[in-house]
Amino acid sequence: MSFTVHHPASVSDAVALAERYGADGRFLAGGTDLIIQIHRKRLASQHLIDLTGLAELRAIEDAGDEIRIGALATHKAIERNPLFQGALVALAEAARVVGGHQVRNVGTVGGNIANASPAADVVAPLLALEAEVVLQGAAATRRVRLRDFLAGPGRTMRGDGELVREVHVAKPPPRSATAFLKAGRRKAMEISVVCVAARLTLDDAGRCAAARIALGAVSATTMRAEAAERALEGALLTDDVLRDAGRLAAGACHPIDDVRASARYRRLLVEALVPRALARCVERISGRRS
Amino acid sequence: MTRVPLTLSINGEMHELLVAPHWTLLYVLRTVIGLSGAKENCLEAECGVCTVLLDGKAVNSCILLAEQCRGRSIVTIEGLGTSGQLHPLQEAFIRHGAVQCGYCIPGMILTAKSFLDETSGRVPTRDEIREAISGTLCRCTGYQKIIDAIAAVAAETKGGT
Repeated sequence: MSFTVHHPASVSDAVALAERYGADGRFLAGGTDLIIQIHRKRLASQHLIDLTGLAELRAIEDAGDEIRIGALATHKAIERNPLFQGALVALAEAARVVGGHQVRNVGTVGGNIANASPAADVVAPLLALEAEVVLQGAAATRRVRLRDFLAGPGRTMRGDGELVREVHVAKPPPRSATAFLKAGRRKAMEISVVCVAARLTLDDAGRCAAARIALGAVSATTMRAEAAERALEGALLTDDVLRDAGRLAAGACHPIDDVRASARYRRLLVEALVPRALARCVERISGRRS
Repeated sequence: MTRVPLTLSINGEMHELLVAPHWTLLYVLRTVIGLSGAKENCLEAECGVCTVLLDGKAVNSCILLAEQCRGRSIVTIEGLGTSGQLHPLQEAFIRHGAVQCGYCIPGMILTAKSFLDETSGRVPTRDEIREAISGTLCRCTGYQKIIDAIAAVAAETKGGT
């Protein structure tokens, strides 16, 4: 095991280093995944570009109509930030169930997105919130939709020299709520067997004005359940309508059998958790406790 | 092999070191400095016996490169209390019989300290305490008494230690 650790003094220095080293370079944020992969000898990077010292990447900023989350914001920072208590609470709910306290204290949102695990908990609410990712390269900065950014298990559209700099989340309109649910084999320290994030907006008549549903650990990337979303929009959200949305979502996902669960069980979980997450959103909009 | 100069603040003392880039904080603590309170076990952030405080927050020192700790403050169990003056969590662990083989206890106490400081100002529930130590495993299964001890300190100090 041999590599050099670089400590850039600024984001532009970091991306300049990344461009210089190309495929031999890796950004190091919390390291909760990267260092383990290096220890397991699955990854032989020659140059680690340590972002730890770049405080500007740590900020979580209220920019009026959107929240800008710096790539180095930790899961703990998301969990504890008041910006994620109201309509955006699904983000805090997802951040809270990642690993144990020690991992949440160092693991970052940027790392979670860049790793592109299909089971990444925080990615599900970000997808339901139609988040955008800001990628900074040596030559240019671009802003892409998270759903386009995710290309496959561990694969993204990030170029070799590009840094996931921020993720932007638009604030939902009034009468909106979000919810996140996770199924694992135990209550803590668990990788999701299935996770579901929902975002709902109701109109004044109580009909669904907008619905977004994201499913984790049931396809090659975290995915949106668009047929279910379309079935909800414009409808009065009766129990039957919510159950139908669950069936549509279960029919649209592509789970696999693995050590954690069978594909069939994962589909059943999607069918059960989608209506439950939607119902929680409805409760939150109507102001009842959940 | 390449060595890089690195100054680390550990338990309030500055240590001038020459480290290899792949050395973890855990390796530096145990092998270079000789502080053996943090234990070496899974090396994948699953078991929590390597837990130390980094800027006051519990972290797994087994997956943290020593170089990532440049300019930050590290506290290990050796820096928490002395035999003459134990930390309230250490006293409570003794009082509640929470220590059996002792292997997980440094990590357990530092995890608890970080959690109680985080919830400072309110008394966390027993369920919250259980979740707080979910990343720190005890294989004597002394969890009930460990939770009793943490809950007692939480009640005495309203979180915060």
